[in-house]
Amino acid sequence: MFTLDWFANFGFSVFRLSTPLIFAALAAVINKKAGMLNMALEGMMLSAALGGVVFAGATNNVWIGLVGAVVIGVIVGWVIAFANISGQTDLYLTCIAVNLAATGGTVFAMFLLTGEKATTSAAIKAYTLPSITIPLIDKIPLIGPMVSGHNVLTYFSFISIFLVWFFLYKTRLGLRMRAVGENPQAASSVGINVKKIGYISFLIAGVLCGFGGAFMSMGWVSFFMKNMINGRGYIGLSAMNIAEGNPIGSGIAAVFFGFSDALATTLKSQGGTFPTEFLDMIPYAATIIALVVISSIRMSHLKKIQRGGK
Amino acid sequence: MNKTRKIEMTVELVRILVAVAIAYVIALVTLFLISDDPIYIIQQFVLGPFSSVRRVGSIINLAIPFTFTGLCFCFMYAVNKFNLSGEGIFMFSGCIVTLVAINLGEGLPFPLMILVLLIVGAVVGVVVTAIPAFLDAKFNSNIVVVSLMLNSILVFLSIWVLKYQMRDPSIGSMGSYPLPDNAVLPNIFGKFRIQAGLFIAIIAVIAVAILFYKMVFGYKMRVVGSNPLFAKACGINMVGTIVIAQLIGGALAGMGGACEILGNYDRYKWVASTQHGFDGLMVAVLARRNPILVPVAALLLAYIRIGADVVNSRGDIPIEFITVIQGIVILLVAAEEFMGRFKKNMIYKAAAEGLDKDKKEEVKELMSEDGEGKEQ
Repeated sequence: MFTLDWFANFGFSVFRLSTPLIFAALAAVINKKAGMLNMALEGMMLSAALGGVVFAGATNNVWIGLVGAVVIGVIVGWVIAFANISGQTDLYLTCIAVNLAATGGTVFAMFLLTGEKATTSAAIKAYTLPSITIPLIDKIPLIGPMVSGHNVLTYFSFISIFLVWFFLYKTRLGLRMRAVGENPQAASSVGINVKKIGYISFLIAGVLCGFGGAFMSMGWVSFFMKNMINGRGYIGLSAMNIAEGNPIGSGIAAVFFGFSDALATTLKSQGGTFPTEFLDMIPYAATIIALVVISSIRMSHLKKIQRGGK
Repeated sequence: MNKTRKIEMTVELVRILVAVAIAYVIALVTLFLISDDPIYIIQQFVLGPFSSVRRVGSIINLAIPFTFTGLCFCFMYAVNKFNLSGEGIFMFSGCIVTLVAINLGEGLPFPLMILVLLIVGAVVGVVVTAIPAFLDAKFNSNIVVVSLMLNSILVFLSIWVLKYQMRDPSIGSMGSYPLPDNAVLPNIFGKFRIQAGLFIAIIAVIAVAILFYKMVFGYKMRVVGSNPLFAKACGINMVGTIVIAQLIGGALAGMGGACEILGNYDRYKWVASTQHGFDGLMVAVLARRNPILVPVAALLLAYIRIGADVVNSRGDIPIEFITVIQGIVILLVAAEEFMGRFKKNMIYKAAAEGLDKDKKEEVKELMSEDGEGKEQ
């Protein structure tokens, strides 16, 4: 069972399954740094996934599909920003409402467009974004098959970790965004437009979720499926939570969750007598456990500081 | 002050009505746009739920679980904790209640059996909600994420219990052994076919309303939710209040799951999340976390749902569009700015009037004082 091939395959699926989680985690990072907890990643990615398939199918061009997914992601992000920032709606409720609407709305839109209620695989021609084989590296045993031959968005997700870090810590807008997240009143007092920064953070999150959604429907599989994000938005949010909004830490946490997801998938495909239901629980259980461990460490750290202060 | 409060309450009510009306109009317009025979479909959507005695009964039947989960979310919402585990509890308690009922068999007489099963449902609810509530209180882990992950786990756990502990191999589809006769809530009101869970729901609403507005704990809970700093300054046990409120909410959701299974099903066959939890959230939002209004909101949602169901069975309209409408309602009701200016203007006006009146009275007083002064 544990041959070199097995490890190579497993490593490959870790990277593959980490991709949407990384995008979700980065979107959460951008919002977190602007001082908001975005729980609608799920709905944003779901809508984007459908948008990608529909645009690609309508134009017969997979790249237009990708752009379409991003546009849909941005629109959903704008809706949340509008409701929360301009409409003063409670952010938690907004996000729950958006997720609810996206779950039903995607099925509704899919039904109107294709007449199907479960997947678009039969009605819309399947497109997938191309995979890239990295020359030279793909010749290395074990590492080659793990790292090479991934979907273009998988590589882009890892590049995005760096891009988001660069944006937040090396650009003027990023600095302002962090200032707003730290203390909106103080930021406002030095002339930063807090509302505008809030909008921008949701729009960037929309772009990232657009990529994440596009990967799900045009990379992971080649069609849209009802409720296909399956909690990945929340898992990405937890990855951000664990790293306290640090983009690189969030990326690492997302890969850890990708690992647990890959573990569940691989163990399931191997069969055996162990009930698959418990294997299905692994990613969710891993999320809860990781969240609890990190927050308990943080709590005891905080207590130590308080004690030291006295 | 009293006047401001009155205005706030009136505007609140108007706002909810307007929000529901807008969402309803959006639903009608959507139906109009996508249907081949719009007038017939809209007529079905609006009047269909009342077209037969059976359907009126099913509105009430559907409102029963919404009431339970709505009450559950009133508690979560009152202490400002978005513990969404009600969704998973509903399914899981239905599952466990069925398991217990099958194993008890005909052992207990009818009313006692129902009571035992309701308690089982409530206990399941308490145990499950305790996880996110406790983790939040102890470690400050994000309660939304933990409860949602827990919901996913509960779905798989319920499927596992169904598959390996109580699956009836004699039926083709996935389903448990049939519930014993003494564990079934009877239908009441003859043709309406309303399940007897209605009485349990009514009792629950009354009990929760008393707890909310007539008991110390309810007051504490509301203070903790609306003004945590004040609550802390008053010496209210914050953590205890928050956790206990959530546990009560969980118990209600668990009882809802039990009632639903015992009243509307002859065997357990849920293999996916039932969405009753999120519907409950919507009910609680509509009722503005006021337990007395929960049944009204539940009936409203049930009416729209049954309308969508009728349309779904008669025409080519998928029922899913209702969740979009639901999202819009939540957004509009929760939006502080929606009709906020209207409210502010009303309050300003009332305050200005009050001020004028005060001034006049003051002047009068001063004048009379002057008069008194002169007389002396």
